[in-house]
Amino acid sequence: MKRARVIAAAIGMAALCHQPAAAQEHTAVKAGFTLPANSGKTILVFRPTVRVGAQSTGGIFEPNGDWTDRARANLETALAARQAALGNIVQPAPAAFGEEARLVEEYQALFGALSRAVIEYQFFRGNRLPTKKRENKAGVFDWSMGSGVARLPGARDADYGLFIYDKDAYGSTGRKILQVFAALGPGIAVKSGEHAGYAGLVDLKTGDIVWLNADMAMGGDVRTTEGAHKRIGQLLEDFPGSTAATPPPAGLAK
Amino acid sequence: MIRRLAALLAALATTPALASTTAPAPLPPPYTAAYQPQGVDEIGLWKEMDEDERVLASSPILIRDEALNAYVRGVLCATVGAARCKAARIYILRTPLFNASMAPNGTMRVFSGLLLRVRSEAELGAVLGHEFGHFEQRHSLAAFKARRSGTDILSWGAVLAGMLPYAQGAYNFQTMQISVYGRLARFSRDQERDADLHGIGYLNGSTLRPQSAAMAWRNVMTEAERAAAARGQAHPRFDRVPYLASHPCDAERAETMAALAIPDGVGRDDGAARYAAALAPWLPQFLDDQIKLNNFGASDYLIGMLGEHGATASLWVARGDLYRARGYPRDLVSAAEFYANAIALDATLPGAQRGLGLSLLKTGRRTEGIEALRRYLQLEPTAPDAAMIGMLIATAGPGQ
Repeated sequence: MKRARVIAAAIGMAALCHQPAAAQEHTAVKAGFTLPANSGKTILVFRPTVRVGAQSTGGIFEPNGDWTDRARANLETALAARQAALGNIVQPAPAAFGEEARLVEEYQALFGALSRAVIEYQFFRGNRLPTKKRENKAGVFDWSMGSGVARLPGARDADYGLFIYDKDAYGSTGRKILQVFAALGPGIAVKSGEHAGYAGLVDLKTGDIVWLNADMAMGGDVRTTEGAHKRIGQLLEDFPGSTAATPPPAGLAK
Repeated sequence: MIRRLAALLAALATTPALASTTAPAPLPPPYTAAYQPQGVDEIGLWKEMDEDERVLASSPILIRDEALNAYVRGVLCATVGAARCKAARIYILRTPLFNASMAPNGTMRVFSGLLLRVRSEAELGAVLGHEFGHFEQRHSLAAFKARRSGTDILSWGAVLAGMLPYAQGAYNFQTMQISVYGRLARFSRDQERDADLHGIGYLNGSTLRPQSAAMAWRNVMTEAERAAAARGQAHPRFDRVPYLASHPCDAERAETMAALAIPDGVGRDDGAARYAAALAPWLPQFLDDQIKLNNFGASDYLIGMLGEHGATASLWVARGDLYRARGYPRDLVSAAEFYANAIALDATLPGAQRGLGLSLLKTGRRTEGIEALRRYLQLEPTAPDAAMIGMLIATAGPGQ
């Protein structure tokens, strides 16, 4: 009896310890959604949000204009190079002015808020919203920006919209030295660098998020051409309808 | 112990009044136009602000009225001079708070709550000049560097403290944290003092009356007093700041600004009449936003101050809305009276008829109330709430 209880406790502990590794998902597809390769759908890419800089010794973000410019250019080139592999027609969203520009800005912000909500309340299993309980039990991914997306410029002639967010903070030399000292001295774990990115595909008729990929620890140095290719590869990993997905080995990330 | 520490910190944070010994602010130095950011940090900050500005330009709360934007820009140019004002891009935001801000790349945000509170071009110029002072002195960059060195020191402190035995390390680190954050707050207050100095300096060199700057701060203090009084709260303190305050206390700012103004400037025009004329089309909207903050004392004070030289119909409507929003039975009686005053001045204001009707219905004067609501629908048949008001007219019971 006693022995059984100990074993049960041990299993419980093991389950608890095991959970964090399995708990965080980073990609999801709306139930029933399929996008066959070469189905001739048009995908609009909205201007990616890109912030690149360093992380100071104390951990604050130090924006770097040169790196941001380079990263934006590199990511755009890498995305263009990958378009063929995505198996559909991928084109940049048209330039918008006045009222339309305001609409684009609002939906960019809404996508940001929604993705953060998905990462927080869907990808962390234990955090799933009680109000979405039924879907949660069935593991259903059901999030939408509303049918208003159909009013976005260019939406009439396209099927899906692709939103991309990228933030990189490279650990400064000071931060790395602190990391080593903190680990050797008092044994404190200091994190150096932050590499977060998410990409989402939105149905431009219904506003439903049909695919979302969010990774808070991405690989690939976006300041270099090769790194940006690797990053785009990771961001668009499992992209619906992609034909030649070649995700880099996870162990090599960073 | 904690209380004693707090008292000590408060005492350290209070600064001696420097007003009595301050000389007038110097005139602005020669200006080099089209400044470009230099170095990694500054270029990085500007880049971030350029992205922010891109979003800001498409913001739904941006007031895009060309006349109002041109007027506010004109006041900035009159204050800082034609060469300087080219460096700033002004964005007026519909936010009912007394504030303005300046980004290092020249993005100036002006809140509608500021426009509601200042009374003249000179007062507005003082605030815009203060913000421009932040820009010209590159305060954001210096603040960023200070914050970075502060947090660098703290993280090394945390590592070293972690290596000390017993609780001594943790205690030392806490003391260090208080001192670093305190210094950062003081650094910020000193930047604000510097910006005040430059703001008044610009005004001294302009054709506007620099003495008006202090007025804006005195009015802010009175507003805070009225707000506290209406809520039954303790009288607010203006002569000292909390340990982590980012700005100097209001009393110090008012006194310093008065002392920084050149005495000869007292005879100059403050542009109050021009200011009132330019703001008139926007006052009802700004007042409506203010009333919705649910701060009776402050809103009542602002309406009273705007009506110093005679209340207009729209001010009576605003006062009626304020009382009706608080909604005690006695308030509804007062509100009906205020709306009636508005109607006596201008019988074609739909808002006055609507407010009157709704107040009368709630105080039991059903027939008169319905008449007022009918007049409202006649004046504005396409009002967004026309269907709802129509239903009230058809079904209003015996009132209350």
